[in-house]
Amino acid sequence: MQRVATKTDEAAPQVETRPTVAKVDPLQKSQLVEFGKYVAECLPKYVQKVQLTAGNELEILIPSEGVIPILQFLKDHHNAQFASLADIAGMDVPSRPNRFEIIYNLLSLRYNARIRVKTYTDELTPVDSACDVFKAANWYEREIWDMYGVFFANHPDLRRILTDYGFEGHPFRKDFPLSGYVEVRYDDEQKRVVVEPLELAQEFRRFELSAPWEQFPNFRGNPAAEEVTDATDVKKDQ
Amino acid sequence: MGLAVAPNPHHTLGALYGKILRTLNKMPESAAYRKYTEQIVRERAAVLQQTKDTYELESKINCGQAEELIIQAENELNLARKMLTWKPWEPLVAKPPKGQWDWPPAKA
Repeated sequence: MQRVATKTDEAAPQVETRPTVAKVDPLQKSQLVEFGKYVAECLPKYVQKVQLTAGNELEILIPSEGVIPILQFLKDHHNAQFASLADIAGMDVPSRPNRFEIIYNLLSLRYNARIRVKTYTDELTPVDSACDVFKAANWYEREIWDMYGVFFANHPDLRRILTDYGFEGHPFRKDFPLSGYVEVRYDDEQKRVVVEPLELAQEFRRFELSAPWEQFPNFRGNPAAEEVTDATDVKKDQ
Repeated sequence: MGLAVAPNPHHTLGALYGKILRTLNKMPESAAYRKYTEQIVRERAAVLQQTKDTYELESKINCGQAEELIIQAENELNLARKMLTWKPWEPLVAKPPKGQWDWPPAKA
């Protein structure tokens, strides 16, 4: 069968047919982009940048001063209604001046949408606790305090939650050794469990984490996120 | 279980929308939050004026039952009052340090 290329053929958007690649929904994507711009316009004081990752995940990047206003806005505004806090996550990147990222994942049951809010801090600067906005934040923030040592200001009950009694240190920090600092064993003479400092030869403690080869050469030039708005860029233009 | 039925949703919603609009009036004219919220609330208040029946109101606003609309209005009022202290229409409070949002992060 003969096939003639027409203008409509060329203009047709490429449909993803590979079964292992996520399909992009252009309608959902445009709605997310629009909502990202809406949030940036409504709260210019707190939104540093809005971006899309993985094609359909909207992220709002804010300074730590803006945690309460942004979360309250996303929860209570008529057009947002992200009333459910799915998760709070932490991330440690030791090479940055503010090494910790705190990541809030929200869900709007009304509009069937998800959004992610990211902020940053260092070891000493406290982040405002989101407990006043979302009750669910209580334990999530305790987890982050336990694992990363990020302090949450005005948290009603900031204690360890996951680690053992008397544990010292924050295990998810990148500078926390994989083997820990102490080991626990049963002592037959004392008839009880004893905790002792870890005895491990120094050469086994050197962890070379970066591989000698490049893992994803196909993604070398590809930025992981698509930018929607960037408040810091606008400043440069003015 | 669930939400208690509101005895007179038209009256409650009218009062709440009036309160929201009065709170928004204290914000500067140019604030985008004020502009968009006023638009939403005016639209809903207009539907409220046109309808007498609760079912008609729910289907015209199309954002849940009347009791849910009341909750949404209460949340918005709460938010608008807090916004007056936060003043989110001001310029950006802090710039990110260089490389803060770069991914993958620069090699240490």
